[in-house]
Amino acid sequence: MELINEKAIEAYVKNFSLRQMLIIPAILLLLSLSILTYTYYRTGSPVELGMEFKGGTAIIFDSAKTPDQLKIEFQNYPGVEVRQYSGGERKIMEFSPMDSSLKDELVQKVKSESTNPDTVETRDMGEQFSTSLQGQAVRAIVISFIFMAIVIFIIYRTLVPSIAVVISAFADIAFAAAMTDVFGIFLSLGTVAALLMLIGYSVDTDILLTTRLLRRKGDLNIKTKDAMITGLTMTMTALAALIAMFIVSSGLVTSFTRIDIIRDISVVLIFGLIADMINTWMTNVGILRWYIGKTQQVEKRIEKPKKKGRKA
Amino acid sequence: MTDEQPFYKNPRVLFLILVVLGSIAAITVSYSNGEFYIGSNLKYGLDLDGGSWLQMRLQGAIAQIDADPGKIIQMDFGKLLNDSGIRIEEVTADSITFITSKETTQKTIDSFGFGTSKVSGVPGGGTRVTLQTSKDFLIQKYLKDSLNADVKLITSNSGKPPTFEIRKAVTVDSLNDILKPVDGKVVPPFKQGVTKETLEETEKRLADKLNPISVKQITITPIGDNYLLIDLPGVSIEEARKLALTPGKFEIRIQVKGNETQHVLYGDQIVGVGVPQKENGVAWGVSFELNDEGANALRDAAIQYGAVINPGAHYLSMYLDDSLVFDAPLAPELAKNIQSIPVRNMVATTGTGDLGQQKAKELQLHLRAGALPVHVNEVGSGEVPAPLGQKFKEQIAIAGIIALLLVSIVVAMRYKQPNIIIPMLATSFSEVIIILGIASLPFIGLQLDLATIAGIIAVIGTGVDHLIIITDEVLAGGFMPPTKVYQSRIAKAFTIIYAAASTVVVAMLPLIFFMDSSALRGFAEITIVGVLIGVFIARPAYAVIIQGLLVETTDKGEVSED
Repeated sequence: MELINEKAIEAYVKNFSLRQMLIIPAILLLLSLSILTYTYYRTGSPVELGMEFKGGTAIIFDSAKTPDQLKIEFQNYPGVEVRQYSGGERKIMEFSPMDSSLKDELVQKVKSESTNPDTVETRDMGEQFSTSLQGQAVRAIVISFIFMAIVIFIIYRTLVPSIAVVISAFADIAFAAAMTDVFGIFLSLGTVAALLMLIGYSVDTDILLTTRLLRRKGDLNIKTKDAMITGLTMTMTALAALIAMFIVSSGLVTSFTRIDIIRDISVVLIFGLIADMINTWMTNVGILRWYIGKTQQVEKRIEKPKKKGRKA
Repeated sequence: MTDEQPFYKNPRVLFLILVVLGSIAAITVSYSNGEFYIGSNLKYGLDLDGGSWLQMRLQGAIAQIDADPGKIIQMDFGKLLNDSGIRIEEVTADSITFITSKETTQKTIDSFGFGTSKVSGVPGGGTRVTLQTSKDFLIQKYLKDSLNADVKLITSNSGKPPTFEIRKAVTVDSLNDILKPVDGKVVPPFKQGVTKETLEETEKRLADKLNPISVKQITITPIGDNYLLIDLPGVSIEEARKLALTPGKFEIRIQVKGNETQHVLYGDQIVGVGVPQKENGVAWGVSFELNDEGANALRDAAIQYGAVINPGAHYLSMYLDDSLVFDAPLAPELAKNIQSIPVRNMVATTGTGDLGQQKAKELQLHLRAGALPVHVNEVGSGEVPAPLGQKFKEQIAIAGIIALLLVSIVVAMRYKQPNIIIPMLATSFSEVIIILGIASLPFIGLQLDLATIAGIIAVIGTGVDHLIIITDEVLAGGFMPPTKVYQSRIAKAFTIIYAAASTVVVAMLPLIFFMDSSALRGFAEITIVGVLIGVFIARPAYAVIIQGLLVETTDKGEVSED
């Protein structure tokens, strides 16, 4: 079995026009941005904020009761919300901020109630602190993106290729963030970490592509094809590791309990990398080929019958 | 590098092997009391070992403040002497002279704690008082008294208003309201937070308080300028809150008759504690300061039970969590003073010599045990019970194994040659070992928690990517090139790798510098460490290994990709 079908990639590189290469990612970016805008109007933030950024208390525990039953039972505590957490009896209850004596009482009540008191997990965030974290997270993401862009500009020192990389990275992040909205994953410390990771990491394939195309001699189509084979292998190994993380942490497989921070990081990176394949090998390739064509003004690709270095 | 030299003798490869061996040693061997021990040195976080964490905010502000020292004297002494017509005569850099219509003595003035004074009568009634004091001190004292909190002078430059650390939650507006009567105001900059020294002092006091009562080692980590994160392994969250946030109960009682004592005040009315000092050059003592309420309570009790008349029969005793830590009679002079006026500043004398000094040090801790240097409030907390942590650990291990398997499959499908696949996986694996080795070095002590492990897996993902870049670059065209071409291709591969690695590093930096979250900081730190290890140690070695192994195959024929 082949990991990557070279013939298909060759055909893709040869036959896809610039317009075709740009239209799909453009639609995707537009879609991502509309989802983010829609969520912004619905909740006041482009991605729905989780407990860590809103403040409040979350308790994760085993109970044979249904979420509705639990909701009635704990209705005296502020803002109670109950959801199924992962397979089996695991439930999550979330509350708005409350004072610490009430919190202690609540935790004790849950522990005495749970069918498995040894596995009651609690998380609590003060309102003020979580609001300040919110601001810090936004700042961290913006600064991280700017840092990344600066590094890219320093590396290439030419406007168009650098912009192409930065646009691709932006589209990756927008898509990953939009997908968290679609799949009901709230913004957590894990998703913030993953978004920053994505900023630094999703440009790897773009850097590979840009360096190969700009700094290597040879036929543009062959260079693109070779870069694409390397890049797709890279993305696939990363996806393989991330899928392993997701399987074990998502709570979808009943013998595994959900681990939020791992799940959040893996989901964001998986969607980010899926977007990255599209953005690197369509957006970035498209822009770069147009740029190279424009600067060299000789590349008239009508037919390329000669193939160097035929592989055995 | 020459062709004759086998790849495994190349310095880069040897260096990698050395570092891996060193890391294995760092993970498994520990040294204490002159002996070596074998066992895991990996430190796990609370979410894997079980326990609770509390994140606390230190409430305080650093503010530059200006005010009129004369007005402060008029305000304060107006209240203390009950005289609304105090007239300021002269204000110099280190003294203030004023005239009050009341008759008063030097002792009374001194007991107010504004500094040493010179007092003389004024012809026609009233008193002229000259205080050896400064503007900085007066503002500090005014803030202390009106906020009922500790205020520290940080800098005083001549020409610029002094900067204070106010150890209580305040805002610019609340300070301006307080300063208005003395023509004062906050002169920006104003910053919420405390000084580094205060943060460290609070951390130390919390550690002193928590470590004796805990079975496992409690760690306290400062986060940013204003936060402390306390990890309490093996403790439930209710317990953690009780231990960390409830101050010890400090109480002063007064002897009524025989063994019978009466409550005077609690530790929350002690607003300041000095360092042990020799009083009058002989006996050791600790000075402490009461707030107005405390000073009044002490005065009332001393008068009520007759301590002012017969101090020797009415000892004052201090209790910490209901056990006696200090008792002594009121000093005769204090007994006399307190009759006329509440005294806020006093000294507990503990005796002479080394024993006296030792006792003074203990008493200082006791006096302070009731309160941390600053007010703290809980901003976040959490608990992962040990059995759940154990389950997380197992799942993470399974995730690692599945990841390794899936990555191997992908790499194997692409390259199909064991002499590429094995070095690739071995290099990645060596990166994991080195990261763990560095994390378990005693002076680094990065703990492994869910976030850092996620970071490690992410690093391995990028690491394999870079090995793929090297491999493909070297094999461009399907042949193992001659050494010269090989060199230039490796150089090209590393341009890409350096660029890719630097974007990951810079993208992670904001997590360390701009976010008050230890989980994210750990994630970023381990990612950066991992990337650097990969780029500077593991990947250069891989480049050499892959060349060595592929040259061997090329001798047998062409490297085939299909």
